[in-house]
Amino acid sequence: MNEPMVIPIQAYLIVSTLLFAIGLMAVLTRRNAIAVLMGIELMLNAANINFVVFWRYGGGQGMEGLVFAITVIALAAAEAAIALAIILNVYRRFKTVNVDQINLMRG
Amino acid sequence: MIGSLWNVIWNSVFSGSFWYPLAFVCLSLGVLIPAVLVALSRNMVHAALWLLPCLVSVAGLYLMLGAELLAGIQILVYCGGIVVLILFAVMLTHGLGDPDVRVHNQQLLWGVVAAMAVAGVVLRLLSQEIWQSGPPVAVSEVTGRLADALLGPYVLAFEVVSVILLAALIGSIVIARGDAAPEPGADDSDAEAGE
Amino acid sequence: MTGRMVLLQALLTEHYDLFLIPGLPFLAALVIAGFCLRPPRERLAPALLIPALTGSLILSVRALAEVGREGVPLTVSYAWLWVGSARLDIGCLADGLSCVMLVVVCTVSLLVQIYSIGYMKGEIGYGRYFAFMSIFSGSMLGLVISDNLLQTYIFWELVGICSYLLIGFWYRRPSAAAAAKKAFVVTRFGDLGFMVAIILIFSQKWWTFNFQQIAGMAHGGNIAAAAATPLALLLFCAAVGKSAQFPLHIWLPDAMEGPTPVSALIHAATMVAAGVYLVARCYALFAIAPVALFVVALIGAITLFLAATMGVAENDIKRVLAYSTISQLGYMMMALGVGGYVAGVFHLTTHAFFKALLFLTAGSVIHAIHTNDMWKMGGLGKRMPITAVTCLLGALALAGIFPLSGFWSKDEILSAAWFSHLPGHWFFFAAGLVTVFLTAFYMFRLWFLTFAGEPRSEEAAHAHESPWVMGGPLVLLAALAVVAGGLKCLVPGTGHGFGAVVGTGHGEEAVSHAAMALSILAALAGIGLAWAAYRARLVSPAAFNARFPAVHALLKNAWYFDQGWRWFATRVVLAGSGLAAWFDRHVVNGMVDGVAWLSGWASRQLRTAQTGQVQFYAIVLTAAVVAGLLAVLAREASLLQLFQVRP
Repeated sequence: MNEPMVIPIQAYLIVSTLLFAIGLMAVLTRRNAIAVLMGIELMLNAANINFVVFWRYGGGQGMEGLVFAITVIALAAAEAAIALAIILNVYRRFKTVNVDQINLMRG
Repeated sequence: MIGSLWNVIWNSVFSGSFWYPLAFVCLSLGVLIPAVLVALSRNMVHAALWLLPCLVSVAGLYLMLGAELLAGIQILVYCGGIVVLILFAVMLTHGLGDPDVRVHNQQLLWGVVAAMAVAGVVLRLLSQEIWQSGPPVAVSEVTGRLADALLGPYVLAFEVVSVILLAALIGSIVIARGDAAPEPGADDSDAEAGE
Repeated sequence: MTGRMVLLQALLTEHYDLFLIPGLPFLAALVIAGFCLRPPRERLAPALLIPALTGSLILSVRALAEVGREGVPLTVSYAWLWVGSARLDIGCLADGLSCVMLVVVCTVSLLVQIYSIGYMKGEIGYGRYFAFMSIFSGSMLGLVISDNLLQTYIFWELVGICSYLLIGFWYRRPSAAAAAKKAFVVTRFGDLGFMVAIILIFSQKWWTFNFQQIAGMAHGGNIAAAAATPLALLLFCAAVGKSAQFPLHIWLPDAMEGPTPVSALIHAATMVAAGVYLVARCYALFAIAPVALFVVALIGAITLFLAATMGVAENDIKRVLAYSTISQLGYMMMALGVGGYVAGVFHLTTHAFFKALLFLTAGSVIHAIHTNDMWKMGGLGKRMPITAVTCLLGALALAGIFPLSGFWSKDEILSAAWFSHLPGHWFFFAAGLVTVFLTAFYMFRLWFLTFAGEPRSEEAAHAHESPWVMGGPLVLLAALAVVAGGLKCLVPGTGHGFGAVVGTGHGEEAVSHAAMALSILAALAGIGLAWAAYRARLVSPAAFNARFPAVHALLKNAWYFDQGWRWFATRVVLAGSGLAAWFDRHVVNGMVDGVAWLSGWASRQLRTAQTGQVQFYAIVLTAAVVAGLLAVLAREASLLQLFQVRP
């Protein structure tokens, strides 16, 4: 870790941006609710990369970036558990996990 | 825009150490290509499995950035926990790919456009601003300091997260049990009538 | 000083006992309504009301004596509620005018209640009757003793509703129900004026509802005549409705559907006089509004003449008395209008006694033979001597024969008209004089038809005198009707004459001996004509009717006022209402419906946005974020500048 960092911050940010966009695309376009959940996980990972990058390039003194990242991972785990439970319940009730077929709230 | 950005990256790759940027490029591709496959793959089990290299590559990026503990957590929680959970869910819900069924909804085009628009706007911001962060200072004792921070100034957040985890644990059990608890109410009969 | 002594002192000096005067009957009403409505206990109802009224009478007499002696009004007042910075009071004002009215109301009410014990015996709803009568007595006393217009208005409406309830006492009889509704609706026209007057006063810069303050400001010249005139006219409007003046007099004859004691108390002696009382109470306002005074006099003159002519052709004994009441109220109004304040109030007092007496004698007759038609009576003088004699005394008093009470008061009114400074005061005097003749004629027509001659029906031939519980009040009222004229010289207990007691600040009135002589002559002429037509058969009314059928039809139909109002109500009002209803249905309602339709249409368009598709919402969200970021980029060229981050 002591060799000079030659990778500019933009490189990491581009990767995280693209990851976020791919996750978003999955959320917006996949029919399967589990796939949508996977998209959300991708977006969370993109955000996490940003936290760590800014921690590292922001001087590495404070620990906020890492604390946030750990919190996000923990919450992502909780969210995944809850979401999958909901999906199972929905599947039992509607016999489908296709998000576009679940429109009880249609106006 | 993208061209100037590419120049920055290209210059940095060939002006400094060679292997270090190479590792970065490999990891980046290891993040993005499986991610695209996750978003596009017809088979849900494949999609869930494609998550694995993606998340592992993210852990590699963490390593490059000097966050060893976080990389470990990423592997443990994501690869060991969430992905397995998702695989279970896929298997429990007839999620296995049926080639005749559409995997994308009717707003596929607009969804892609929206995602690309977000990426475009953010990339434009990245190319526009001057990110004078400079080379990061050397860090040491990251894990120890992180532990101090978590149990020191951020202990409240830490405890709240643990409570949330507990609540999520109980909540997901209750939700997933669903109709297992026999309730002689209108709800059950409704559900059966719906079927 | 201990708290109890402070309280005691306050009780002694602040005249809180004035609240008891209307309070006692209200208390009686509460107990009667709570415990004495049903048969076994309803016999107790008069035993509650009569002591309460006796208490009120004693307190009123005491107040009158104190006011008469000291010459200073007794007042007590509470802040009732605050509206913004405006304070509304509830209080009592006992000056000469209200004390005299209090005593009159208590006396008549007490005697009528005693009479009612006999008259209403065995009626279904005996307890209800006394409950209503208690509320009425309390409300009437409250109206009289109020020290401000708003409180007066409250009690004004309370006596109105009591009148409605008691006219419709026999509510199973359709004519009674209709009469009650008619009375209620017609008086409402006038009451509207009262309410507008109150609102108008409240909108003035000097606003106050207190009678003494209003009078003080009117005397002090703080109220412009331009403001006083509409106020006085609006208040007079209320008086016209309540006191059954032309053209709203039509409800009073129909109100005779109620029990006769009710007619005696409410529709002869007290409530209908409330209009006159209101004008007297606000006389300071009228005094600075000559136009309003002239209108009062004119309406009074028209009413007294018209009502007297209607009474001439009426065959129902109670309706004759009702027309007579309207006519006498017209006298009072005319007296107030021509400046005879004391004369008007004095006539109110004496009239209360002799007209209550006349109604009670009529009730006695009706009780005996169960009909109102005078042509089925006759010869009752021999069988009902007490009734006949007391009725004769009442009729003489009403006709204004010396030295009975009616002579003194009516004479004062004619004198006031004689000496008045109003334009056309000779017309008022002439109307009053002609009506003296008519009054004497219709009253003695009534008396001769009822008590003289031979019985004209089976019931009349076998009539019996009423019991003493009814006869006693008749005798007492007859005595009052005879001697009440003496009040002119001395009100007992005060040491002053009537004028000095009630007429503070309105001056003494001169008496014209010529007017006196003319009025006695006119009255004697009326009595003589009645004797000639209905007793001695020297002239034939039938021949007169055959000769002038148009006149007879006109009088018989009470100048076609009911028909006129009906035409007005069914044609003019209904046509106007139809127009308003069309406007409401198609324009107002159309606008409302249009707004509803528009929002419904917009909602139907908007609900298509609610697809129920979560991913659609997400894409809209994303689009909005992108649009927001683009807008920021277009303006700021740098997100960091927006967040004030220094690179």
